[in-house]
Amino acid sequence: MNKFNYIQFFFLISLFLINGCSNNISTNVTTLDPFESLNRKVFYFNKKLDDKIINPISKSYAENIPEKARNSIGSHLEWMNLPNTIINSTLQLNVENTILTSAKFLLNGLTLGFYDLDNNETKVIKKDFGSTLAKYKVPEGPFLMVPFLGPKTTRQFSGFIVDQQNHSNMISGKVDNINLIEQPIKIIHSREKLSDTIDSIYKSSDPYIKMRSFYLQNRRSRVNSNKKNRKLELEKDYEFEKLLQ
Amino acid sequence: MNLKNFYNKNYIRTTFIFLFIFQLFFLLFTMEVKADGLKKAKDTVELLLSEAKIHATETIHLDPIIRTKQIKSLIEKYINIDFMARATTGPFWKKATNLQKQSYKSALLNQIINTIEVHLNKLSNLTYKTIKTEPRGTKLIYIRGIIEDLDKVQPSVNLLWKVALNKESNYQILDLEIENISLISSHKAETTSLLRRNKGNFDILIEKLNKTK
Repeated sequence: MNKFNYIQFFFLISLFLINGCSNNISTNVTTLDPFESLNRKVFYFNKKLDDKIINPISKSYAENIPEKARNSIGSHLEWMNLPNTIINSTLQLNVENTILTSAKFLLNGLTLGFYDLDNNETKVIKKDFGSTLAKYKVPEGPFLMVPFLGPKTTRQFSGFIVDQQNHSNMISGKVDNINLIEQPIKIIHSREKLSDTIDSIYKSSDPYIKMRSFYLQNRRSRVNSNKKNRKLELEKDYEFEKLLQ
Repeated sequence: MNLKNFYNKNYIRTTFIFLFIFQLFFLLFTMEVKADGLKKAKDTVELLLSEAKIHATETIHLDPIIRTKQIKSLIEKYINIDFMARATTGPFWKKATNLQKQSYKSALLNQIINTIEVHLNKLSNLTYKTIKTEPRGTKLIYIRGIIEDLDKVQPSVNLLWKVALNKESNYQILDLEIENISLISSHKAETTSLLRRNKGNFDILIEKLNKTK
């Protein structure tokens, strides 16, 4: 195990420990954010970075690269992530999604994912290691604002590290090579795709809270089981009915 | 007297038949009322979108103040602002004065108007389709729909409208979830955090909301 792997290993262990501790604090809190003041600082650092570097690049990316080419880049980035979905669908025993994703990966492999040969007809549910951890009832853990990467739950962040390791092992064998090229493109592409949403968040009265709320709602709906989502829906219905009385 | 004679003599059979028919009619009536409610709720959402679309194309050359006024009347007709104000402030609502409540409602309304104005021009190239309507509990109705881009450039977006009768017995929209992100929940997170940090001071919240125009 080289030095990098040691650091990564201990980092992961500490993240899991944070997760475990957070579960002992409370299980009923809807948003667990014990590091709010630190997270806010990271959020404003990311926002500054976005204002000065990422947003201007993403704007010029949108202006100078034709829409079709941008769609191809997006399609290629999605195709690059399909092996992670295959692995995690298998770990989650989701046979249908594993088969569909494998078929899509092989088919679009003919164009390296730059052109979607099945015209988005195959609906693949994206799975990451964070969702696998959720499936096996690992608690969500505290909310984190990660420099450069944005909002994550501790569980998703642990999963993200594992996914990145898998991803680079499959393609180049070195984390640095693939991440140095793929991550910046991914960030610029996502920024351009989500420009309306991100701009509306920055315009709100408390952008940090808005970002956290958007992220957690979206993440939970994708990661939670149908049963848990239904339970949350019923809770919301009850709250609405009470207000309607 | 055997049991059969007793049954015939005391009109028990007739009573049973009458009760059965009454129950059947009652069931049919309630089903009809429910189906009617679902249809009306679905129409509310579809009417709002079609009126907004017409508004977007017909008022493009109008004075911005008149345009805003028209959007305002559209929102007041279809969206339950009173409910939204209560839902987004949680337990702090009861502590606010009547004047603060009114100011908050108008600040919230202005925020919705601003959001709609930004996205109004994009409506002309989109189509909305209702997928499913379902009653939830005793008062709520869920309407699930999808917005699709006519040019197929943008991915389709899933919507969930929560609709209920207001005090005047008209269907109005209470909340909208766009790809599982609820407008009420995200707005509530923002307002309650602001109120908590300012010890429930509504005036600061209203000031902040008005500033974020």
